[in-house]
Amino acid sequence: MSASTPNSPASSAAAHFAAAAVSAPANEVRLSVEQASYSYVPNPSQAPLFTLEATSFQARPGELVAILGPNASGKSTLLKLVSGALRPLSGRVLLNGFHTGNLDPRTRAQRIAVVQQESRLLFPSRVWEFVLQGRHAHGRSLRFESADDIIIARGALARVGAEHLLDRWMDQLSGGEKQRVILARALAQQPLLLLLDEPTLHLDVGAQMDFLEVLRRLAAQNHYTIVVVTHELNLAAEYADQVVLMQRGKVLRTGSAAVVMQREILEQVFQASLSVEIGASGRPRITVLSGTLGKQGTSR
Amino acid sequence: MLGGRTIRMRAPWTAMGLLAFLAAPLAAQNRVLPPAPSFSEVTDEAGRTVRVPQPVRRIISLAPSLTETIYELGAQDRLVADTDYCDYPDAARAKPKVGGALNPSIEQIAALHPDLVLLTRDLNRYETVLALEQLDIPVYAVDPRTVEQMISSSQRLAEILGVAEAGRALGEDLEKRLENLRTRLAGLPARRVLFVVWSDPLISAGRKTFIADALRLAGAVSIVNSEQDWPQLSLEEAVRLHPEFIVFAAAHAQNAEKEFTALSARPVWREMEAVKNRKIVVVSEAVNRPAPRMVAAIEDLARQIHPEAFPPDEKKSPAAPPSPRLANSSRFGGAS
Amino acid sequence: MKPLTLRSLLIRCGILAAVLFVSVFIALKLGAVPVSLYGLGRDLIRVAMGYSSDLSTDYRLIVFDIRMPRILLAIFVGASLSVAGTSFQALLRNPLADPYVLGVSSGSAVGAILALIAAQHMDLPPLAAGLLTPFGAFVGGMATIAAVYYLGRREGQIESGTLLLAGIICVSFLSGIITFLLNTLSLRDRGGMSFWLLGELGTPLPSSLRWVLVIGFFAAAAAIYTTASDLNLLLSGEQEAMHLGVDIDRVRLVVYIGASVLTGLAVSVSGAIGFVGLLVPHIMRSIFGPDHRILLPTAALGGAIVLVLADALARTVVAPTEIPVGAVTAIVGAPLFIYVLRRRAA
Repeated sequence: MSASTPNSPASSAAAHFAAAAVSAPANEVRLSVEQASYSYVPNPSQAPLFTLEATSFQARPGELVAILGPNASGKSTLLKLVSGALRPLSGRVLLNGFHTGNLDPRTRAQRIAVVQQESRLLFPSRVWEFVLQGRHAHGRSLRFESADDIIIARGALARVGAEHLLDRWMDQLSGGEKQRVILARALAQQPLLLLLDEPTLHLDVGAQMDFLEVLRRLAAQNHYTIVVVTHELNLAAEYADQVVLMQRGKVLRTGSAAVVMQREILEQVFQASLSVEIGASGRPRITVLSGTLGKQGTSR
Repeated sequence: MLGGRTIRMRAPWTAMGLLAFLAAPLAAQNRVLPPAPSFSEVTDEAGRTVRVPQPVRRIISLAPSLTETIYELGAQDRLVADTDYCDYPDAARAKPKVGGALNPSIEQIAALHPDLVLLTRDLNRYETVLALEQLDIPVYAVDPRTVEQMISSSQRLAEILGVAEAGRALGEDLEKRLENLRTRLAGLPARRVLFVVWSDPLISAGRKTFIADALRLAGAVSIVNSEQDWPQLSLEEAVRLHPEFIVFAAAHAQNAEKEFTALSARPVWREMEAVKNRKIVVVSEAVNRPAPRMVAAIEDLARQIHPEAFPPDEKKSPAAPPSPRLANSSRFGGAS
Repeated sequence: MKPLTLRSLLIRCGILAAVLFVSVFIALKLGAVPVSLYGLGRDLIRVAMGYSSDLSTDYRLIVFDIRMPRILLAIFVGASLSVAGTSFQALLRNPLADPYVLGVSSGSAVGAILALIAAQHMDLPPLAAGLLTPFGAFVGGMATIAAVYYLGRREGQIESGTLLLAGIICVSFLSGIITFLLNTLSLRDRGGMSFWLLGELGTPLPSSLRWVLVIGFFAAAAAIYTTASDLNLLLSGEQEAMHLGVDIDRVRLVVYIGASVLTGLAVSVSGAIGFVGLLVPHIMRSIFGPDHRILLPTAALGGAIVLVLADALARTVVAPTEIPVGAVTAIVGAPLFIYVLRRRAA
C-alpha cells in the first residue's frame, strides 16, 4: 500500500482491513506519520496556546514505539493525532494508507485501540462486562454479545494474564490488575494499532515492568503495532524498538533507544543531571544524579 | 463477519398487545346516564351552553357559596351532595360529601347521578368541568364578581332550579336591604379601612374582589388600591396609608382577638392610629363568601364603622346573623 | 460470567409486565366508589370479548370511563418519566439527574401559565380550551430544551457539565418567572395551577391527545433504545466511548431529544410529577444492573407500575378528596431517595 492511496468509503476500508492484521509482512510500514502538526487555539484572536510542530515517524507491525518527553512536550497531542481523535492541521497520519482522522468512529475503533490512564466508572461493573465493551465496534450497534464475542474477550484476558479476574468487580482490582483489564478490553477490539497514554503512571515499580513485558510480548507474538507515551526514561530505554524524543511540541530525535538516548540531549530535555550507561541487556540505562542542572531559570 | 444477534421486535409487539387489550373498553364510548324527559338550554356565567334536564331532581354543589344559596332558595331537599367545606347552614354539614372544591372525586359525583352540578368559576377548576363534561354530566358555572351580580346570579339559578318565585323574593329582600343601607349611608364620608386577609405576611384584598365591593356598600373604602386580587403589602406601607379601621373576617371573635394581639405587638404596626385606638372591626366570615348571607355581614360592617347612621333605638333586622364582637373594641371613636 | 441475552431480557420484562397487569387490576378496584374484585374480573373478561353492553351502566361508567383512562395515562406518564430519567442520568453521567434537571418542567409550567392567561382573554370553543394548556406546556418545554441545548454546547457539541449548568440556570430563572407570574397576575385559575405544579392525573385527556402521547412515547423510547449499548459505553467516559467506536455526538443528540420529548409530553398532560424519573431508574438498576439494554425497558415498566399504584393511593387515601399524585410520589419518594443516597455513600 503506497502512501498515496486515496480515501475509500468506510465499508471498503473495513473489507480491506479484514485481511491485514496478523498476516501483514513484518517490514511493511503500518503507521506513517508524515509532517503532522497541530495547535490549540481556544481564542481565534489570540496566539495558539500550544503548538505541535510538524512531526514524522513510521512504525511497523510488531514494533513498540515510545513517545518520550517531559510534561507538556506534546506527547498526548501527538498520540491523539495518531489515534484519529484529532485531525492534523497540516500533514497526515496514515494507517495502512488510510487517514486516521477521516475514519468514522466505528471503523476507527476496529483498527485502533486506545488505553487511557485510569477508567472512571459511574456504576460498578464486572471485569467480563468491561472487556466485552471492546467488542462494541464489531457487529451491529444494538445487539447482544454472541458466542464469538465471548471467546474473543476471554482470549484477550488470557493474553494479558488476567483470565482469573473474569468475575471480579472492577472497583475491587489493584492498580496493576485494572490496567491489565483495560488493556484486555483494547485487545478485544482486535486492533492493528495499540496506543497507550502513560499506562504506568499509577503503577508501582514491579507492576510497571510486568506491564511493559506484556506489551513487548504482544508486539512480538501478535504483531500489534504499539505506541506508548511515557516520561519514564528507563522503561522507554528497555522496551522500545523506536523512541521519539519530544520537547515543547517539537520532535528532537527519532530512532533506536541507543541512538536517541544520549546524555547531552537527554539532560537538555529533562533538565536534570544524568548518567547513561549500557546495561546488561545491551540497552541504555539512565541514572538521575540531581535535578535542574544547578542553573536558574524556568523549568519548562 | 462476527455479527451478534440483533433484537427482534418482539418486545414492542407485546406492549402493543397489552395496550390494545386495555384500550378495548375505551373503544366503546356509549354514554351511560338514563335520558331525562326534557331539557332546557341555558347559558351559564362562563359563557358555556348547558343542557339542563327538567325538572332538576338531583343537585350537587361544588362550592360553599352555592350550597348556602341553595338553602336560601329552599331547594336543599334536592341537594344530594356537597363539598367538605360546605358548613353553613349546619344541615349542610350532614350532606354526603364528594371531596374538596378543588379536587372532588369525579367517581363519587358520577355515582350519585346528578341532574346538575353547580360550581363557581372562581373557586373550582376548569379541569373539573372538563372531566364532568366528558361524562355528559351537566355543569352550570356561576361567576359573580360583585354583590349585585351575586343577587342576579342567585335569581337566575333559582329559575333554572324551578324555584323562580323564591329567587325573586330573595332578590327583592336583599335589594331592599342594600337600598336601605345606601340611604342611611348617603352623604357620609367613606371610612378608610384596611381589610386583613392574612396577617403574616400582610395580605389585603384588591379592587376587583368581592370584598372590595362589600366594603364599598358598607360605606368603607379599602386603603389598598390594587389590580391584584390579593396584594401583599409591607407594614410601613399600611401605616403610611392611615386606615381608620382594621377589619378582620372571622368565625369566632377569639381568633380575631388573637390575630390582632399578635399584630399589635409588632413594632411598626404599633404606630398605627387604628391600632393605638383599638379601632378594630370583626365581621362574619360570610363577607368572604358570595352568598346571600353576605348582605347581613355588610350591614354589620356598616353598623360598626358608621355607628352614627344607626340610631340606637332602631330594631335590628331579624335576618341578621349574630356577629362576633371583640371585647374592648372601640366603636365610638374613643378609647375603651 | 453471564452476558445479557434476548431471552433473559424478555423473561424479566415479562415478569414486570405481569406485575403491571396486577397493578392495573388493583387500581381499577380501588377508588372512592367500591367495586367488587370478582365482579371486576368477570367484567374485564366480558369487555375484552366485546360484550361491553352487558355491564351495569353505573359500574361501567366508574371503572371504564373514569378509572381506566386515568390508569392508562398513569402508565404512559410513568413510563415516559422513567425512561427520560434513565436517559438523562446516562447522558449527564450523573446518577442524581432527573427528567426536570434541564428545565423542561419549569418551561412547561411557564407555557401552561401563559396559555391559561391567553385562554382568559380569548373566547374559545370548549375543545380548544381543553387543548390549550397541554399545548402551551409542551411548547414551553420544547423552547426551554432548545435554549438549554444552545447554552449547553461547547465548541458546537453537547458537553455534559455545561449542559447541566445551563439547565440549572434555566430552572432558577424560570422559577423566578413562575413566582412572578403567579403573584402579580390575577389568575382566576390559580388553584388549578398549584395542582398542576405538583402533578396530577385527574385531568381528562382529549382523545386526539391520547394518541399523540402513545405514539410519541413509543417513537421516542424506541429511538433512545437504539443507543442502549452506546450508553453503556458512555458511562465509562466520553473519550473512552469514542475510542471504542461510539459516535458520541450522534448518541447525545438522539438521547437528548428523545428524553426531552418524553418529559415534555408527560409534563404537558400531567404536570411535574416528581421522583418517579429519579428513583425508578435507581431501583431498576439495583435489581437488574446498569446495562441499558435491560434497564431502559424495565425502567419503563417500573415507572408505569409505580405511577399506577401512586395514583390509586392518591385517589383513595383520603377519599373522596383526591390529593395530587405528585404529593404521593414526593411523600413516598423522599425517604426512599434518602435511603438510596446513603447506600451510595456507604
